Amino acid sequence: MAAIYALLVGVAMGALLQRVRASSPGMILANLRLENLSIIKFMATTIAVGMILVYVLDAAMPQVLHFDIKPTYLIGVALGGVIFGVGFALGGYCPGTCVVGVSEGRRDALFAILGGVLGALLFAVLYSALVDPLIKPLDLGKVRVQDFVHVPAVAVALIFGGGMLAIVRLLPTIRNTPR
Amino acid sequence: MTHSATTTALPEPTTTRLTAGLPAWATLGILFGVVSAASIVLWGPIGVSGTYPRFVGAVLRLVDPAYAAANPYLVKMGALFKPETFLVIGLVIGGFVAARTDKRAKAPAVERVHAMETSNAARYRDAFLGGLLIVFGARLAGGCTSGHIISGITQLSLSGIVFGAAVFASGIFTAKLIRKGA
Repeated sequence: MAAIYALLVGVAMGALLQRVRASSPGMILANLRLENLSIIKFMATTIAVGMILVYVLDAAMPQVLHFDIKPTYLIGVALGGVIFGVGFALGGYCPGTCVVGVSEGRRDALFAILGGVLGALLFAVLYSALVDPLIKPLDLGKVRVQDFVHVPAVAVALIFGGGMLAIVRLLPTIRNTPR
Repeated sequence: MTHSATTTALPEPTTTRLTAGLPAWATLGILFGVVSAASIVLWGPIGVSGTYPRFVGAVLRLVDPAYAAANPYLVKMGALFKPETFLVIGLVIGGFVAARTDKRAKAPAVERVHAMETSNAARYRDAFLGGLLIVFGARLAGGCTSGHIISGITQLSLSGIVFGAAVFASGIFTAKLIRKGA
């Protein structure tokens, strides 16, 4: 059943990413150059709405949701993010949007997927050497914001998510664009 | 500026009748938020980048089974047929149908995004290197835009917040650097 749900979620996600133009590397670069903030605002809206929904649901029916928290090993997570950011700005794709890009006929997206496969192979080959210096140290475990503050998770979600939605509304619509 | 018009004159997508008053990013963001929450309710948080090493593992198990069985990362990531793999198949279907039913201009086969991309070959090079770096970085961090940033921060996970801050700091810095140098 999980496979069918995941397939349906993927179909919806692919359609939404295509419609918001997240699969356009030009749109990604416009966002990273802070000339057009629509993808940044789209992501922030997605996160805020999802956060409020899952924590309200979790408060109403505890233990039903399939939470899956990734561990915070500070060095690997931060360094991985920095490397990801360089690749994101160079290619204009992320691991999911290049798949959507290929599905709408983008040939450069196919090169991004091929690069991604090589990147995954390279990481698998280097994994044993990277574990000790980058993944094992400074590992805080599977921690969430509510583990650090003495407030119920649903309250954290409402404040955090509400704050994100407020910031998104205040951000300018388009900057540095002609017309 | 030698930059192509595509990078500077992208208008934000327009609204549809159904959602008059809301910009498209807001409508689509709300829908994606509902989808991402539904995913956590139904089976688990969305994620994409783990499928790349699972695919590599599946290929190596055919080509060089001894190496695949000895590589700790490929063993840890496991078999290809996980729900996440079906999500990636869904991305292809959803993207294809949305593009086919889109009234806007068809996506270009090659979209050059940097001034240094003076040929299609240069664009392919940047897409390839970019693809390599995003998946390597995502596997080092344990997730990508969907697994860490969207799902991670949605679940209020600290790792998602750290990864998201690093990605946007580095991505914005790199984008500005390429523009200056190019």
